[in-house]
This record gives sequence, C-alpha cells and structure tokens, in this order.
Amino acid sequence: MDITLQIGGEAGQGINTVGDLLAQVFVKAGFHTFTINDAESRIRGGYNYTQIRVSDNPIHAPVDDLDVIVAFSDDAVIKPRNKLANDGVIVFDDNVEFKDIEACHYAAPLQKVAKEIGGHVRMTNAAALGAVLAMLKFPIELAEETLSSIFKKKGEKVISSNVAVARAMYDRTLEEFSGPCSQNLSTIQQGPGIDKMLLTGNRAMALGAMAANLKWISSYPMSPSTALFQDIITYSRDLEIGTIQTEDEIASICMALGASYAGARSMVTTSGGGFSLMVEAVGLGAMAEIPIVIYNAQRAGPSTGLPTRTEQADLLFMAFASQGEFPRIMLAPKDPLEGFDVAVRAFDLADKFQVPVMILGDQHLADSTWSTPPIDVTKVKIDRGSLSSKGSGDYERYKLTNDGVSPRAFPGDPGKVVVSSSNVHFEDGHITEDPDVRNAMVQKFLKKIPNILDALEPPKIYGPEKADVTLLTWGSSWGAANEAVEILHKDGVSINQLHFCDIYPLRTELLTSVFGQVKKIIAVEQNATSQLAKLIRMETGLDVHHHVNKYDGRPMTPGWIIQQLKEGGVL
Amino acid sequence: MITLEQLEGVQKITWCTGCGNFGILAALKKAIIELGVPQHEIAMVSGIGCNSKMPHYINLNAFHTLHGRSIPIATGVHVANTNLSTIVHVGDGDTLGEGLGHLIHTARRNVNIAVFIHNNGVNGLTQGQFSPSAPRGYVSKTSPPPPGAPMDPVNPVGLAITGGATFVARGFSGDQKMLVEIMTKAIRHKGFAVVDILQPCQTWNRKLTWAYFNEKTYSLQEASHDTSDRWKAIERAFENGDKIPIGVFYDVERPDLASGLSLPEKEPLKDHQTDLKKLQDIIDGMLL
Ligand SMILES: Cc1ncc(C[n+]2csc(CCOP(=O)(O)OP(=O)(O)O)c2C)c(N)n1
Ligand code: SF4
Ligand SMILES: [Mg+2]
Repeated sequence: MDITLQIGGEAGQGINTVGDLLAQVFVKAGFHTFTINDAESRIRGGYNYTQIRVSDNPIHAPVDDLDVIVAFSDDAVIKPRNKLANDGVIVFDDNVEFKDIEACHYAAPLQKVAKEIGGHVRMTNAAALGAVLAMLKFPIELAEETLSSIFKKKGEKVISSNVAVARAMYDRTLEEFSGPCSQNLSTIQQGPGIDKMLLTGNRAMALGAMAANLKWISSYPMSPSTALFQDIITYSRDLEIGTIQTEDEIASICMALGASYAGARSMVTTSGGGFSLMVEAVGLGAMAEIPIVIYNAQRAGPSTGLPTRTEQADLLFMAFASQGEFPRIMLAPKDPLEGFDVAVRAFDLADKFQVPVMILGDQHLADSTWSTPPIDVTKVKIDRGSLSSKGSGDYERYKLTNDGVSPRAFPGDPGKVVVSSSNVHFEDGHITEDPDVRNAMVQKFLKKIPNILDALEPPKIYGPEKADVTLLTWGSSWGAANEAVEILHKDGVSINQLHFCDIYPLRTELLTSVFGQVKKIIAVEQNATSQLAKLIRMETGLDVHHHVNKYDGRPMTPGWIIQQLKEGGVL
Repeated sequence: MITLEQLEGVQKITWCTGCGNFGILAALKKAIIELGVPQHEIAMVSGIGCNSKMPHYINLNAFHTLHGRSIPIATGVHVANTNLSTIVHVGDGDTLGEGLGHLIHTARRNVNIAVFIHNNGVNGLTQGQFSPSAPRGYVSKTSPPPPGAPMDPVNPVGLAITGGATFVARGFSGDQKMLVEIMTKAIRHKGFAVVDILQPCQTWNRKLTWAYFNEKTYSLQEASHDTSDRWKAIERAFENGDKIPIGVFYDVERPDLASGLSLPEKEPLKDHQTDLKKLQDIIDGMLL
C-alpha cells in the first residue's frame, strides 16, 4: 500500500487540520505517513495544499501521483488535476462551482453536513476526513477511536459532534459516490504501528535542543525556522529556558553569544536573510571561541526569494561566512529523527571545540511531517567539554594546549577573571598585535580541526556497498534520492547513495574510495550549482560526473530524480 | 571589598595624554570599590573604539566585542547570570551609530545593565570622523566640506528616557565626584541605566574640549531637578545650548526584563539543568 492524498484550498481554510487528522488516523492505524505542506507566503486566499502519503513501508519523500484530492477551492481542483493517478478521485465541496468535472469526481456536501450534523462549518474538516476515508473504503472502526482521542483535549461535546460529522459524511459518501477509486482499503488490518509520533524537522530539532540543555534562545521570526523557536518558547516555562524575540538577527546572535560567554548553552534560529545579518557575530564567536549553535532553515534565495519554499543553496555561504579563517562545524540532518540527534550533538560539539556549529535545515525538512517512533530523552547525556577546575590561580581563557582547546571558566566563578576579546589576544584574553602570538592563536584554531573531523560522523552509503552509479546527496534531499535508489535497484540498476549529514569540515576518506570505485557519481542537490560537489572538488580535486539540480522551491520526488537521470543519459 | 590594587589593569594604557577616558576609568574604579561586591561578580562588556579598550586597563571579567553590539551581548551575559553586575562601556560612534537600535530596544525592555557612553563627538579610533553626536556644522574629514555636518546630533539622554530606560544621567569626565556617584547609582539601579559621559577627545575634537565643558556644564541636582518626572527630565535633556546639564535626569522603578522571562527560580540560568523527565512528559504527550 502506498497512497497519496492531497487537501487543497485557500490559506485560512483549515487545510492543514484535515491533513493532520488524516495523518493521525493512519499512524494510529499502524501505518507510516509523510506529509508535505505547500503554502504561499500569505495569510488568506491563494492556493495551498497539504499532501499526505501513507504506506505500510517507511517512506521518506513525497511522490508525484495523487490518489484522492480534496478541494476547497476551484484552484485546488484545476491545479493538481494532471497529477491524479488512474482512477484517482477528486472530492470537492459542493459550494465550489465547477462545471466540467467528470462524473467520477464527487461534489460532496462537506459544509452542509458539517452544519447540519455538527452545527458549525468549523467541522467541515471532520466531514472532509469522513469523505476521504469513505473514498478509500477505509474501515471506519479503525478511525473512530482515533478521532475521539484527537478531539479529546477539546471536550466531550466537540468529540461527539466531530465524530458524528465524520461518520455521517463517511456514510453519505459510500451511498452517493459509486465511481471507482484507485485505492480500496476495505480489507486492511491494523498495521504494526512502530510509529507513534508525527514530527516535523523543526519540532524534532527543538526537542533535541531542549534535551541538550539549551538554556537560552534569542531569535527573530523568519520562515521556515520560526516553528522551532515557537516550540521552545511553548515549553520554556516548564523547562526553565530563557527566550526572547529580539529586534533583529544581529541582536539575536549577540545575546546568544553573551549568554554563552557567561555559561549558558545558547542557540539562534533563522533563515538565510537573518543569517546574513548574523555574519559579523559568527566571526566574534569564532575569535572569542564561544560555543554557539546556529540553525538556518534554508529557503529559496537570494534575498526574500521564496519565503515558504525549499532550497539547499546556503551551504557555501555558511561554510565561508565571515572574514578571516577559523574552524566551524556544519551539520545537515536528513530527517526529523536525525535532526533530534544532530541538535543534541551540535551543542556538545560547540562546547567541546568552542566553535560555531551550524545546522543546515531547509523548508522541506523544517515543515514536512514524518511519522516516527517515540523519542526517549531520559538517556541523553551531554558533554560540556573542557572546563577549568574550581579554585583560584591565574586563569587564562585562551591557554595554549596541545589540541587547541582551552578550559572554559565563566564570569562569576570565584577567584577567576575571564577575559575574552574580538581582537587578537594573548592567552589571558587581553589584546595584542604581536606576530608570534598571532601565529600561535591561528595555529590554535587549526589544531582543533583534526579532532573535529574525528568527532564528526563519516558520510554513509545507502543501498549496495558497491555500485556503478552513486548519487551524492546531503541534508533533506536524502529522502527522495534514497527512494529513487531503491526503485532503480529493484529494476536491476547498479546504484547506491553516498550521503552527508556532517558536511564540514569535510571527511574525505570514504569519499575518495567511492570516487575510486564507481563509474559515475552524480550530485543530486536542491540548488542550481551543486554546492556540495563544489566543496568536494575544492577540498579533494575530485569532480562528479553529472548533476541533478532542483531549484524551483519544491521538494524532489523519487520519480523526478529518476526522470532526470534518464533524460541526462545516466541510466 | 575590592582594593585599587586588585583592579590594577593588566595592560599599559594606550590612550593619548589628556584623553577624557582616563577620568572615566578612574571614576569606574572608585565606583566599583564603592559598590562593595566581590570582583568576580562584575562583568564588563565593551564595543570597539578607543573607549572600548577599558577591559584591558581594569582587572575585571570582560568581553571586548564588536562595534555597536555590546548592549545585546551584555543582555545575554545578564540573563545567563543575573547575579552579575553587568556594565557596558561604549563609544558614541558605537552605540549612537551602529548600535542605536539596540539602545532603544534594551531601554524598552528595561534590562538590568548599566551602559556608559564615552561621548566625545568623534570616531576616535578611526581618526576623528564626526560621530552621530557631533554638533551640526562639525567639520571633520568625512563631514561634507564646510559648513560641516549638515545634520543634528543624536540626543542620547532624550532617546534613553523616551525609549524607556529607568535610570538616565549625564556625567562629565572632568567632574570626578559627580561621575563616581552617578556610576555607582547606575550600576546599583535595578533596570536599564544609561549614562552619557562627556569625554573630551584631546586629539581630534577641537570643539568639545575640556574648556568647553567646564564652562557650560551645570549640576541638575543643584538646580533641584525632580528625577521622577519624565517630562521635566525630557525638557532638561533638550537643553543643549549655552548650558549643558549634568547629573541624574531620570530615576524610576519598573519591572526589569529578567523578571518577565522564564528564568530558573533557584539558580542562574547558566547553572540550571533542564529536567529531562519533564521533557519526556512533554514528548509523551505528543504520542498518538
Ligand atoms: C562593523 C564595524 N565598522 C567599522 C569599524 C571601524 N571602527 C572601529 S572604531 C570605530 C569608531 C569608534 O568611535 P566611537 O565608538 O565613538 O569610539 P571612540 O574611538 O571615539 O572611543 C569604527 C568606525 C568596526 N570596527 N566595525
Ligand atoms: S583619539 Fe581621542 S578618544 Fe582616542 S585616545 Fe586619543 S584622545 Fe582619547
Ligand atoms: Mg567616540
């Protein structure tokens, strides 16, 4: 089973709510889901949709064919119509005037039933749910309990009316709609139910940051990063985390650096434009060796670009942002669960090496929802790195050591004076222009790099260990490429995937050996210029053979990648 | 509690002879001794400029940061450890130019830090260009040819008061007694304290000189100014002609930022450990 449902309409029509309901019903029934939200950067009107893919196998990407479309506006019928699978069905609210609709589609009285049975148009969501489930012949019993538990928080009356509306619309659809539907789930049983949560990348990383003892976050809203910041604020009172929405991103990162200098694990969240404003302070963090975690949820640029859409085009910008030369760490999780781990690791790495750590997400990872197994945070152990022992003596914040890392102390520690500076400084933190000290301090930075490389995860191969063709990916493009590899592999193509989560500094061992073995290596990146491939060439002299690039702001699908490979003559 | 010897700076001072910064440093040392808090509980944040080299001339926890960004950085230091007395030393180019927005936003948040603006009317360290507080008509290498800067100066005292700062004063490097008193009060004040300190730049500023300030300044307190009256304070702040008022303009109490944040109750944020069981409960609440 592998079906995709799309709910479309105008912003403000509750499309995401229907999507959430459907995903919850299917996850409760024991299946895997993957949801993408496609929203214009506006609050009302336009054409937005949410797409829920459901499968009994784990899934990692959206696909191209739609089995059921639920439309709340005429655009939501017209625009996706060419993606409808054979025997796919469009359910549209019968308020939407639509003349040339084929007989197989269903003008459903969604609002009418919501009003008649539930007493309020608000329950149109439940009606839509009922209609979709009926289209699929999904056994309603599997859904009813879920519905009750979903609406539980809202009280007894809301539960019963929503359930009644869904049920009524379900029955009515079965009665009124006689056309075929590409999917018939009448015989499905409760699935194995490994997944217990619905997690977006943003939420998973918020949980990871909180598990890592994040104590201060200062940010300024910018799509698609904002939800992470909001999640942390939501739980900040319970968990005693300091949070503030600042006047701009410069203040965000500066506050975070101040808090980190004083000993609190700190983070900022933003997207490319906000990160641009932060750049000077990234250099301050580097020079003063203050740990900081920077999350950039990339969107299509340059400038305002496509505010609510995805891209992976900030990699080189982030790798080289700021004047001067210094170590930094860049991590790009592929999915929410990895995002959780990456967030925890990011804080440890920042503390251990006292460098800026950058998490590169993107809108696709940030906003899409994966069904995932439960997360256990109780075993998370954190590592604050080298700390100066208590007691007095002449403390020197930048004491030269073999590994370039100096034990930290914080203002407030009795008997110590902690001096940091953005100027080149002596070991005691006071400023100097002495050439020998300058050299020693640059070497101090460089000494950290081999140990950082050791602490980073090497890239991973997915699919067969050896293959003729290798897709080279990073970050959230993993999902679509991974499924493309699976499909092609089943078709007898010798293909695998080399994927980077920990991007920079670049680990080259596996990379060189893969380049030595394969016939063709293909960069698959959500940008126009294959930035990871460029970075690899810069660091190793190795060049990929072919490029697959997507830069229209929409996430890749496995089908699209396969088509590009075919058109490019790779397959 | 702290002695003058303990505060003795680590580095040799590089300011020009006759620079107004000497008076501010001397006053700060006296103010800190007067405060009576342990040395390790004071943190200084400075920006970039002649003035911002203060941390190297006094022995305190310090972070010598970026041009224009000290105030948000100090806000971070403060929230991470509210037990610290956090003070900021910045120039006029720094905080009335690059960082002006931060000054206003920090004022409206009433962050419990003290900001000392070394106001010399020039960008000293970059060789004397006119700063945002240079008077109209000020001639420097980067102001348009005479008649000089075709714009009015920023009024730091007026801005701080209207912005929401709860302690606003002006000192003069040449009036040590008053400056020590003001600085001590500013650090003790629970809320955002801004002190505009008149600081002659001996090398570049031929207009705002020791003689100029000696002649024009008068004490607000001797003129029995009411520091709780916002409108009177603003009126005084815009007195900027033949007479320049120095002293405390405005001094009131309002809730500070930290009291409105979800900071831990029992210990500084920096020492707090998130209760993972509570986080697990939150996650369990998300399970379907
Ligand atoms: C972002 C940035 N822009 C410019 C500079 C160059 N710069 C260093 S100090 C300074 C002006 C200092 O003037 P002020 O803040 O009034 O301090 P003063 O030297 O007068 O004490 C400038 C423009 C810098 N360091 N950083
Ligand atoms: S240039 Fe002016 S402000 Fe800078 S040290 Fe010399 S006198 Fe002082
Ligand atoms: Mg100046």
